Amino acid sequence: MTEPGYEILSLDDLERYPGGSGQEPVLMPLRRRLGFRPFGVNCWTATAAGGQVIQPHSEPGGDEELYVVVRGRATFTVRDETVDAPAGTLVHVPPDTPRRAVAAQDGTLVLAVGAKPGEAFDPVPWEEFHIAFSKLRSGKDPDGARSIVADVLARYPDTWEGEYNAACFEAVAGDPDAAFAHLQTALERNREVVARYAPDDGDLASLRDDPRWRELLR
Amino acid sequence: MNVAHVDELDRIELDEGFVWRPVRRHFGIRAFGVNAYSPREAGAQVVEEHTEESLGHEEIYLVLRGRARFTIGGDEHDLGPGQLVFVRDPSLRRGAVGLDADTVVLALGGKPGAAHEVSAWEAIFLAAPAAREERFDDAIRIHEEALAERPDHPALLYNLACMEARAHRHLDALLHLKRAAELDPKWARYAETDSDFAAIREEPGFPAG
Repeated sequence: MTEPGYEILSLDDLERYPGGSGQEPVLMPLRRRLGFRPFGVNCWTATAAGGQVIQPHSEPGGDEELYVVVRGRATFTVRDETVDAPAGTLVHVPPDTPRRAVAAQDGTLVLAVGAKPGEAFDPVPWEEFHIAFSKLRSGKDPDGARSIVADVLARYPDTWEGEYNAACFEAVAGDPDAAFAHLQTALERNREVVARYAPDDGDLASLRDDPRWRELLR
Repeated sequence: MNVAHVDELDRIELDEGFVWRPVRRHFGIRAFGVNAYSPREAGAQVVEEHTEESLGHEEIYLVLRGRARFTIGGDEHDLGPGQLVFVRDPSLRRGAVGLDADTVVLALGGKPGAAHEVSAWEAIFLAAPAAREERFDDAIRIHEEALAERPDHPALLYNLACMEARAHRHLDALLHLKRAAELDPKWARYAETDSDFAAIREEPGFPAG
């Protein structure tokens, strides 16, 4: 229900965008749905108990994050420490810290809030890319997926993140020439971070036997 | 690991009937505003009636547990677990009553396009129990710590002056009230009728409203 100046929403009404494999988290894009601008806020769920609800990552860009278990139960691992997190649990993770979470119950839902201290929030385009990947992998709307990628690159023409994710998208879509072109631009913009991510990124697996891979990442 | 259940957070009871569960402060979060609230009992306030005009915040109120009756710009909405209200217009008056005693509402807020600053009201809320119990030294210390991070914040200076006046530290109260009024004249108007200043209202230097 939307009224001028405010909106009522049930989290159950958010769209759901599964990740790449059946085990990856499902994005429920809250920030984008509301048009919320001050910081990042999204919901994540798992396909079933045992599935990832927060993908392994570390926020090397400097975001601090708070995870709130809204429903169900999750098992969080931060660095090497693991904790059982029933509904109502809050987990705070500083930047550049490995973290992941697995749903311990069906229907587990985690709210993730994040931003970089001391800086105005600028929504980097990972939300759109997650949605584009979900559409591409489901095979239901590949044209829609490609349109999202083009739109993001037009709106964020100078970011390394956009080019890196476009490289991943094209690699998964089966266009290595386009993938290498985007990867090269991403490396030119932030070689340190891209060279850190790329070797272990499953989305780029199809590129690794190509001689251009070794040339770019040497 | 920095982990806590919402029920393990501090309970700061406020006079308006709600209980503040200071999430941001507990974890030392700097990047965004986040707090949880409960009613003191079923039927009591769970979100204070207020606007965000002075801070310019967009706010999300998510019901984590129980039920709450929100009043947003005069409209009433009963929300349960997993339901939220997003108030994008800072000038809209909003508040909520907890319909269940164990209701918990998570509030997220910040100003679009600006780095997050810790809101001054957190120190004022934190000092409220000490002020209520007339532990003025504690209330003054909380305000002084907040002012060390936000020097010359008029609301903090004004509330510090209130505590100092009640603690019979009249000269300190006058100095801090005067500074608050210099920074924003509305505080001089508030001081004219604020009972905290009854003992110093006739002192030379009391700011004119």
